[in-house]
Amino acid sequence: MRTLDWVVLVGSTLVIVLYGLYKGRGSGTVSSYLLANRSMPWWAMGLSIMATQASAITFIGTTGQSYVDGMRFVQFYFGLPLAMVILSATAVPFFHRAGVYTAYEYLERRFDPKTRTLTALVFLVQRGLGVGIALYAPAVVLSVIFGWSDRWTVVLMGVLVIAYTVFGGIKAVTWTDVQQMAIMFVGIIAALTSAVLLLPGHMSLGDALFLAGASGKLNAVDLSFDWTNRYNLWSGLIGGMFLALSYFGCDQSQVQRYLTGRSLRHMRVSLIFNAGMKVPMQFLILLTGALVFVFFLFEPPPMLFHRAERERVSGMTAYGEVESRYREAFAARREAAQALLQSRDAPAAERFEAARRRFDAARADGIKLTGGPYNDTNYVFLTFVTRYLPTGIVGLILSAIFAAAMSTISAELNSLATTTVIDLYQRHVRPGASDSHYVLVSRLATGFWGVYAMGFALFGNRLGSLIEAVNMIGSLFYGSVLGVFVLAFFVPRATGTGACTGLAAGLATVWWMNRYTGISYLWFNVAGCLVVVAVGAMMGRGLQGASEGRRLAGRP
Amino acid sequence: MIHPDDEPAPLVGSWGTLYALVVLYLFVLIALFYAFTVAFRGPR
Repeated sequence: MRTLDWVVLVGSTLVIVLYGLYKGRGSGTVSSYLLANRSMPWWAMGLSIMATQASAITFIGTTGQSYVDGMRFVQFYFGLPLAMVILSATAVPFFHRAGVYTAYEYLERRFDPKTRTLTALVFLVQRGLGVGIALYAPAVVLSVIFGWSDRWTVVLMGVLVIAYTVFGGIKAVTWTDVQQMAIMFVGIIAALTSAVLLLPGHMSLGDALFLAGASGKLNAVDLSFDWTNRYNLWSGLIGGMFLALSYFGCDQSQVQRYLTGRSLRHMRVSLIFNAGMKVPMQFLILLTGALVFVFFLFEPPPMLFHRAERERVSGMTAYGEVESRYREAFAARREAAQALLQSRDAPAAERFEAARRRFDAARADGIKLTGGPYNDTNYVFLTFVTRYLPTGIVGLILSAIFAAAMSTISAELNSLATTTVIDLYQRHVRPGASDSHYVLVSRLATGFWGVYAMGFALFGNRLGSLIEAVNMIGSLFYGSVLGVFVLAFFVPRATGTGACTGLAAGLATVWWMNRYTGISYLWFNVAGCLVVVAVGAMMGRGLQGASEGRRLAGRP
Repeated sequence: MIHPDDEPAPLVGSWGTLYALVVLYLFVLIALFYAFTVAFRGPR
């Protein structure tokens, strides 16, 4: 990190925080603090929705994933535009007409208090763990790459986010999200452009794409169907759609973004904006990763991208021999790539494939030296950025990573505080208090969740595999919670008891699938939702209750 | 007078048309990505 990089990073981060504090002035009522007086335009909400979804690890890890696994991850997002259309046509008008602060508040109007409280608690548990990881994960990556203290990175990022989120509420969160998303766009374009410009002098973009394709990295669409294959067209379209329906329709961290809309039209357009932007954006991020792979066909990549692990194993006696074989394998792969570029025929492609396999085997031998589970996907992109990109651009891309982390964390703190205050405190602890009292409690709740997230992140290194388990928890809950909302909107016979029983059955089914089948997790969302709807519908109150259910749902 | 719930969609006027365009856009993207995948599969 040179001085100019620090100036760009510190300058852009401070400007965003100060801007957030400025825009958050006057949030003195609950409606203003939690819903910005329902005054937001579609484009600010749309960018805020995108910024909330794009965490730092999304930014860092997606490029690494493409480097390792190719571009097939883009299919994960294929269901998102469909989900945006469905939500815009169905859930958004329900929420808008109900005039609610949280998605779970709607469930009490439709069903009963226990359904609201249960789903709110599910959200608090799931998102509460998620916000700690959103803070911890980038801090660890940055600490490994730059040698920064992960604890100070957590504290610095945490304090800045807490400051503007506590002070300015959702207005500060949304307007900083807009700035942060703009920085992310610039960062993505800068990274992609740099990856193209840094290709060897003799190579055109077409040549690079040819080599990336021959290496299997441009596998953006896979038409084959396989329940156990995580990313193909069908799991992306169907499983991804259910996941996106659940995340954008039932998760308060997203629902609250569009509840701030100045009209139903603005709320709907914000989702349609997301539908249009998200897939191409992910495509560009993944393409950057594929081009970084081509760059490292000609420039020797480290055997292990994780610097601390590399330094640890470099003292081992076997390291020298393994490293030497790795270098030879790299040189052979580079020659084979060069030959393939010139001849572009099947025999050269076969020789390149064989050289790639030898290289991968040599790297696998290096990984074995670490002696445990090792995954350096999250370190690939930052290694490329810090070693090869020019001064200033490094600062810009780090700013984008900070922006991605802060935008996700601020929205999550804001939504955790809203659910805590509206669905639990106001509903069960102290109903009927003054507006100023609830604003004060909302600020305290935001601060509490911020400190909690920092505490979780500071002790993150002791949690080990728990983090993977926490990541899995999200996909265990999502589909089942979606099922409860589907019952609320579309099954007039459904009751609160049926919805809660269905939720339990859905969670049990998904747990069983996760434990005893090899089915890919995107399908969990489909199964969870269908089981909840089936059980909830079967336990419905009968035909005579349907009209009452329809009235409670707020259907026209 | 237009009820706030019935405000027309931007550009195309009808929400149904806008939604259809989004779905069409998605399938055009998928078709382009598929063509991209096939075009750069490498020599076989």
